[in-house]
Amino acid sequence: MRSSFMGLETSKRGMFTHQSALYTTGHNISNANTLGYSRQRVNMESTSGYPGVGLNSGTMPGFLGTGVQAGSIQRVRDSFVDQQYRQEANKFGYWESQTKAISQMEDVLAEPSAYGLQKSMSEFWQSLQDLAVNPKDGGARSVVIRRGEAVADSFNYIHKSLKDIQTNLGKEIDVTTGEVNSILQQISELNEQITNVEPNGYLPNDLYDARDVLIDQLSSILPIETSYEKSGGRALAIAEGTVTITLKMKNGDKIELVNRNRFATLGTDPNPLVAVDGSNNPISGLTIQSSDGTKYTPEHVDFLDHGQLKSLMNSYGYDTQTVDANGDKIIKGLYPDMIAELNKMAKAFVKEFNAIHELGYGLPPNDAANGTPFFDPAGLEAGSIKVNSDIIDDPTKLGASGAPGEEGNSEIAKKLADLQFGAMNDLDGATIQDYYKGVIGKLGVDGRQAENNTLNSATLLGAVEHRRASISSVSLDEEMTDMIRFQQAYNASARMITVVDETLDKIINGMGVVGR
Amino acid sequence: MRVTQSMLSSNMLRNLSASYNKMGKLQEQITTGKKVNRPSDDPVIVMKGMGYRMEVDKVAQFKRNLGEVNNYLDSSDAALDQVGVALKRAGELVNKGANGTLTEDDREKIMSELNQIREQIQDMANTKSGDKYIFSGTKTGSPLYDKNATPPGYPDMTNPDNAGFGKDINIEVFDGVSLKVNTNARDLFSDIDDVFETLAGNPDQAAFSAAMTSFEEQFGEVLTMRADIGARQNRSEMMENRLESQEGAAKKQMSENEDIEYEKVITDMITEEAIHRAALSVGARIIQPSLVDFLR
Repeated sequence: MRSSFMGLETSKRGMFTHQSALYTTGHNISNANTLGYSRQRVNMESTSGYPGVGLNSGTMPGFLGTGVQAGSIQRVRDSFVDQQYRQEANKFGYWESQTKAISQMEDVLAEPSAYGLQKSMSEFWQSLQDLAVNPKDGGARSVVIRRGEAVADSFNYIHKSLKDIQTNLGKEIDVTTGEVNSILQQISELNEQITNVEPNGYLPNDLYDARDVLIDQLSSILPIETSYEKSGGRALAIAEGTVTITLKMKNGDKIELVNRNRFATLGTDPNPLVAVDGSNNPISGLTIQSSDGTKYTPEHVDFLDHGQLKSLMNSYGYDTQTVDANGDKIIKGLYPDMIAELNKMAKAFVKEFNAIHELGYGLPPNDAANGTPFFDPAGLEAGSIKVNSDIIDDPTKLGASGAPGEEGNSEIAKKLADLQFGAMNDLDGATIQDYYKGVIGKLGVDGRQAENNTLNSATLLGAVEHRRASISSVSLDEEMTDMIRFQQAYNASARMITVVDETLDKIINGMGVVGR
Repeated sequence: MRVTQSMLSSNMLRNLSASYNKMGKLQEQITTGKKVNRPSDDPVIVMKGMGYRMEVDKVAQFKRNLGEVNNYLDSSDAALDQVGVALKRAGELVNKGANGTLTEDDREKIMSELNQIREQIQDMANTKSGDKYIFSGTKTGSPLYDKNATPPGYPDMTNPDNAGFGKDINIEVFDGVSLKVNTNARDLFSDIDDVFETLAGNPDQAAFSAAMTSFEEQFGEVLTMRADIGARQNRSEMMENRLESQEGAAKKQMSENEDIEYEKVITDMITEEAIHRAALSVGARIIQPSLVDFLR
């Protein structure tokens, strides 16, 4: 037999549940613009009917509903889309960082332009032609020297700028590993909080959201995989549990970064990358104190070519752990490669130029056998190439003539000017300009590729992001509709109470008064 | 598909930023006049462009070198012309001197004028173009006729130190193509001087007759040299024309390779502007009143 007040209870549950739904709607609206927020919904479920199932339950014709309750409050999210998002973010992180590094390099090299290395070289060759025409002319001599200095300056400037950017990249690697460590720690702390809440039968949706934002961030830096472990206790079936994050390595190995409340700590090897004196140590790999306590020292090659961190390592320069014929470490990477190319050019240029210049004779009183190098022979690298100070101090030492005492002889000046078209053995038989052209061409192709890949991965990432938003983001119209829905249901429940109230009034005040 | 306000606004932002990006590229192209401004814009154009720039600079330089070639040749030609005039006058004078009716006194007068001519020719040997002695071979800093030497005279070519006086000056006018620009006139000037010297030693009628033939021979020599200079001037002119057309071609290639077509880029810009305006006005509509505004 149903109780008199059952109707009141049923309607009260309706009111409470819809109130929860209304409050959740309010929460959704409030967070409409929160980064990483997923809309939440109240899973309403009807409470068990009357009478309850049992041996001693009474028999009655119907199975009477007893109302509704908020079973759980769940966020609307698709974990498959999350996974896709993270894969794309991983690629995008890599290519975006590559594009940035290459574009900075392009800025420094400034080709094609009226002030790049090519232009200063070209002007230098021109000044040598002028000297070949007027070997005696003091003006032509000074111009050759100044333009020679300009070439040296261009080499020096490019070299220094590249080194500076490389240093910044090194610092960025340090900052990024620090950022990773902080993210890992935060995720582990969230794991901890989540394990405290879930066993009580709650769904900490906002903690999940916060954790997913962190995992998204992490995925743009490192190639990671996630798996989940259920919490114990009275945890709901839809509770997510704690996340275990592993770092994917090239050989298929996995290094555990976060497990429950434990987290890994990353460091660069060597540490720090940028020495106190500002020199850049190539990175050999990372040292990872894994969350399971194991210490890993993966080398640069062991990392997958995904994520911002690997891209930074590739740009900054890494130790290949191999040595060349001279026993020197082979260092590779975007910036070390470019610096090496410039050094190779500077060395070949200085060597060949000096070899010819040393055959020349200057003007009186320096018209005896010359032997003076035009470029300081100590400066064989892009960073140290400079015009011999003896020649700067005394332009008559500039050896334009092929014989002593012949001011009008420009044999050597012409040979120097013709070096422009001369194949250089040290540059694999290319002229210096052609070689440089090749270097710039390669940079351009790499840059183009990085840009295209960035664009493609950004498009894919955008598409996935859109799909995710389509599932999880808050629509105000939808919330308003829900609000009305819930409000009306709330109101109807309240009206229902009035109805019950009136029936009770009838029972209590209107019944048993016959004959009064 | 479920679409929410945040999706629309993030889409709108993406679109706006994409069209700003495109406009930025076009703006850069219009202000620089170049299709490419960094290697990654188009590696092929950049590489070709670097080659063409080198070509343009090179041709411009060779044109400049040709200026000096012409300078040399013109000065030499002008100087030798003067020498020819002087020789002609000397020929007339010795012709007059060869006349048997002249007295010793008359011959002396002729001799003094001839001496002036001799000096003038010596000066011609020291013709300068700028600060260079053009007849001194590669020793452009030293006069061909040294007045301060004892005895004054033309350089002794048996002395190895003087080898430079007989050397050629070549100026490059194209890859590996050089033009000889100076004229080795040491022997000519020296021979002319010898004639004057012999005459001055014994100015009788027979010597004048002999000198007459010698001067004629030397005059012929001068004409040969001038013909040679003329031939080289022709060659230089031909080279100039060739370089001119080469420069034009190289500049044209460079321009076709890397310069923008303004009409195209400006049209693109206008199109992009229209798209951007559309994106903006659509954006303004996207932030629409929601259901909130209608529920009272």
